[in-house]
Amino acid sequence: MYVFSIIVLIGLLLSAGFFLYTIYRLLWNAVKIPEKKPGLKLQLGRRIYLVIRNVFLQAKLFKDLGGGIMHALMFWAFIAFASYSSDFFVSAIFPGTNLLSGTFEQVAFFTVDIFAIIALLDVVYAFIRRWGIKIKRYQGYNGFEAWFILSLVGILMATYYVLSVLRLDGVSANIPGSIGENLAAANTPVSYALASVLPKVSATTGYYIYWTAFTIHAADFIIFLAYIPTSKHLHLFAAPFNVLFAKEDQAILKPIDFEKETRFGATDIRDFDWKDYFDFYACTECGRCTANCPANLTGKTLSPRDIIWDIREVVVAQGTEYRTRGGDRDQVFKTVIGEPILEKDLWSCTTCMACVEQCPVMIDHVSKIVDMRRSLVLNQGKAPREVIDLTRNIEQYGSPYTIDPSTRADWAAGLDVVDLSKTPDAQYDVLYWVGCVASFDKRNQEIAKSVTKILKKAGVNFAILGSQEKCTGDPARRTGNEYLADMMIKGNVETLKANRVQKVITSCAHCFNSLKNEYKDFGIELEVHHHTEFINRLISDKKLSVKSLDSDTLEKYTYHDPCYVGRYNKLYEEPRDVVKSFAANYEEMEMNKSKSLCCGAGGGRLWMEEKEGTLISHKRIEQADKVNATTVVTACPYCMTMLDDARKTTGREDKMKIQDVSELIAGRID
Amino acid sequence: MVDIIVLIKQMPDLEQVKPDPTTGEPQLKNVPLKLENLSENSVEEAVRLKEKYGGKVTAIIFGNEQSSAILKKAYAMGADEGHIITGFKGNNPSLTAKVLGEKIRALKHDIVILGNQSADSISGLLAGKIANHLGIPLLGNANSIEVSGSTVKVKRALEENNQIIQADFPVVISVTQEINEPRLPPVMQIMQAGRKPINTEAATLTGREVKVLSNKAPKSERKKMVFEDVDKGIAEIVKVIREESR
Repeated sequence: MYVFSIIVLIGLLLSAGFFLYTIYRLLWNAVKIPEKKPGLKLQLGRRIYLVIRNVFLQAKLFKDLGGGIMHALMFWAFIAFASYSSDFFVSAIFPGTNLLSGTFEQVAFFTVDIFAIIALLDVVYAFIRRWGIKIKRYQGYNGFEAWFILSLVGILMATYYVLSVLRLDGVSANIPGSIGENLAAANTPVSYALASVLPKVSATTGYYIYWTAFTIHAADFIIFLAYIPTSKHLHLFAAPFNVLFAKEDQAILKPIDFEKETRFGATDIRDFDWKDYFDFYACTECGRCTANCPANLTGKTLSPRDIIWDIREVVVAQGTEYRTRGGDRDQVFKTVIGEPILEKDLWSCTTCMACVEQCPVMIDHVSKIVDMRRSLVLNQGKAPREVIDLTRNIEQYGSPYTIDPSTRADWAAGLDVVDLSKTPDAQYDVLYWVGCVASFDKRNQEIAKSVTKILKKAGVNFAILGSQEKCTGDPARRTGNEYLADMMIKGNVETLKANRVQKVITSCAHCFNSLKNEYKDFGIELEVHHHTEFINRLISDKKLSVKSLDSDTLEKYTYHDPCYVGRYNKLYEEPRDVVKSFAANYEEMEMNKSKSLCCGAGGGRLWMEEKEGTLISHKRIEQADKVNATTVVTACPYCMTMLDDARKTTGREDKMKIQDVSELIAGRID
Repeated sequence: MVDIIVLIKQMPDLEQVKPDPTTGEPQLKNVPLKLENLSENSVEEAVRLKEKYGGKVTAIIFGNEQSSAILKKAYAMGADEGHIITGFKGNNPSLTAKVLGEKIRALKHDIVILGNQSADSISGLLAGKIANHLGIPLLGNANSIEVSGSTVKVKRALEENNQIIQADFPVVISVTQEINEPRLPPVMQIMQAGRKPINTEAATLTGREVKVLSNKAPKSERKKMVFEDVDKGIAEIVKVIREESR
């Protein structure tokens, strides 16, 4: 064997050993520390689809087009290099031997030769993005790691070309112990072009250039391999698995079995499951989550990226301590709340799911944040004052308001609505779940009245639960009080069953999500429709005829996506179709559909004061103003409350209206 | 170590009480009972003192079987022991003080805490009467309580001045709403509260009870005039006010 072969072999073994050992340590943490299970289902088809879509096709990356294209090309270059690098090391260690041959070799070399130049350009582009145009989300995060890894990639590609040119020129074939044989020009077009412009070198010079390039190339790869698992580049390994293991219902909360469980919510790293650990490991600190977080965008310190990354650092530190020294788990695993995760950051979250939607590697930030809220509320009774009041009201009155629950259906007085509290034996096809805000809040009662008018006009045989209806538990749930939520949900499930409810429509985005996605964990399967979806169908089925706008109207419409209708339930087109059924003058706001900006009310924030930074709702109303909208259409009483307030407090009362989809239609069907 | 007795009471949720439209009597049927507001502050303060100085919190409530839910709330907040005294209506504060005083005398007590007046009967007499019955000092309307050794110091906000007063154990302290923000009990404590024993005993009373003969919402005779047009309305309102004030 040649000296170089031996050095490369030892280097590679050391590096691979270190790589595997580090991965082992990380997996050890994920297996030994958690005390909760993720409860994953097999769902093989869905998982294969996810891996193809989100790993091989890099689909979620393109939500940020520039960064997405850059990353996808780099990813594909890495795939291309996998076969080349294997071949390289086989030839380096056993000169004269090749892993690849025939057509496979030709294809592999062709792709690598093309992708190497793409990767090189990519590296330059990445440098420009981070240090040239200074894209905000990168700033302040592991600049050294980025610089180091980009340099490694750049050098790897550059030395690849040096070696290839020498191979094309026939220099390396004459060097004893080299990787080798001559390359065919047709298979390596970029290298061939380079060879044709670069001066030819003598055998001796070639010898030195070859071994220098070879050493750098091999060393680069060896360092890279060892570096991956200790840096944010662990995502090369962890992200594909994280996508593979992704839960079907991200940001959908799971119940707590209060009879069996003893640890409530997430206090320390024992309270995250092994899938959560993959979330931590897969994070690349790309910052797309934080760049789209409504709280962060309005000057609050909450950063979903930091939440994930900070816990990852705790996992690595406490995991190492526990693995090497063992000891009492209660001593080793200290709470993550307070330090490094600030309590106020946990309460700033609107659970809007923008972070989850954006994350290319499918991390679920929201359920972790709610889990930490659960820890505070359930274990310590700790919550902002307003949340405690909210909790008391839900407990005492079955709604977030200090209002006599027997008056819940007062909005329907004189509207001739079937109230199951008064006529329990009434026959009906659909239950209209009104929700607390539309039941008790003056402005939002208009939504309940409008929905009623529409359903009646379309001849839908519907009923309401009246005073039997109670808060779905969503505000309690999202503010961490699972105990109360559990009580509310179980109570409602009983009521729904007692009234033989099967089909539900609701005009509240939060009730909609709860009833549709979360009640099944409590033993009831319902067919649930959001009112926008239902109204859209009534229009397309010609059950409603909607008067179109006068052609000379100056009205201009835009639509604000409620998070729990859009991101949570993917209803983006239905509400828009309803608006466009009569209005031609329509324009999207800057942030729309899956990138829509939250109104600021989710996650129980409707009942909390927004003290830090500026108001999210103000930012949203400014976006609406930018497209000169005179009517902002929305589809959730929470959004209505926030935006209507923002409209007034920013002095836009005279030029802008906020309307629910139902109100728009109710006014055009007479 | 401080032995604290906290006197609590249950009351109907006033938000859900409506007067009967014909008789004017409050309709109490189906109205849920709750831990009276200042009682909640009292329990909170008792538990905070226990957490700070060590000791034991014993809660006493007048009531019936229904009251165990209220007592459990006090347990969830951190009370260690609870007594329900049944068969007593308590419309005469003197008698109430006597019954409670006898019960307190039978228990170890350094501090007796109660609200300065309950949200339903609003007599404000009970603290003084109990102190009198037991022959111990009353530190009334406390905004904060501090213990050192066997001395207790209380801050109280009076109408024009803030006062700090002090006395040795045992004392009766009546608290105001400002003294604290009652906690949200942790789930573990709520669940444990369900398993804690509750002591129930019937009241032995000697003395004369005050009977409530009638309890009606006052009649308000509103004119219910609504003026839709603001400009016309102002003139009308001015006219009405002038006439009414004559």
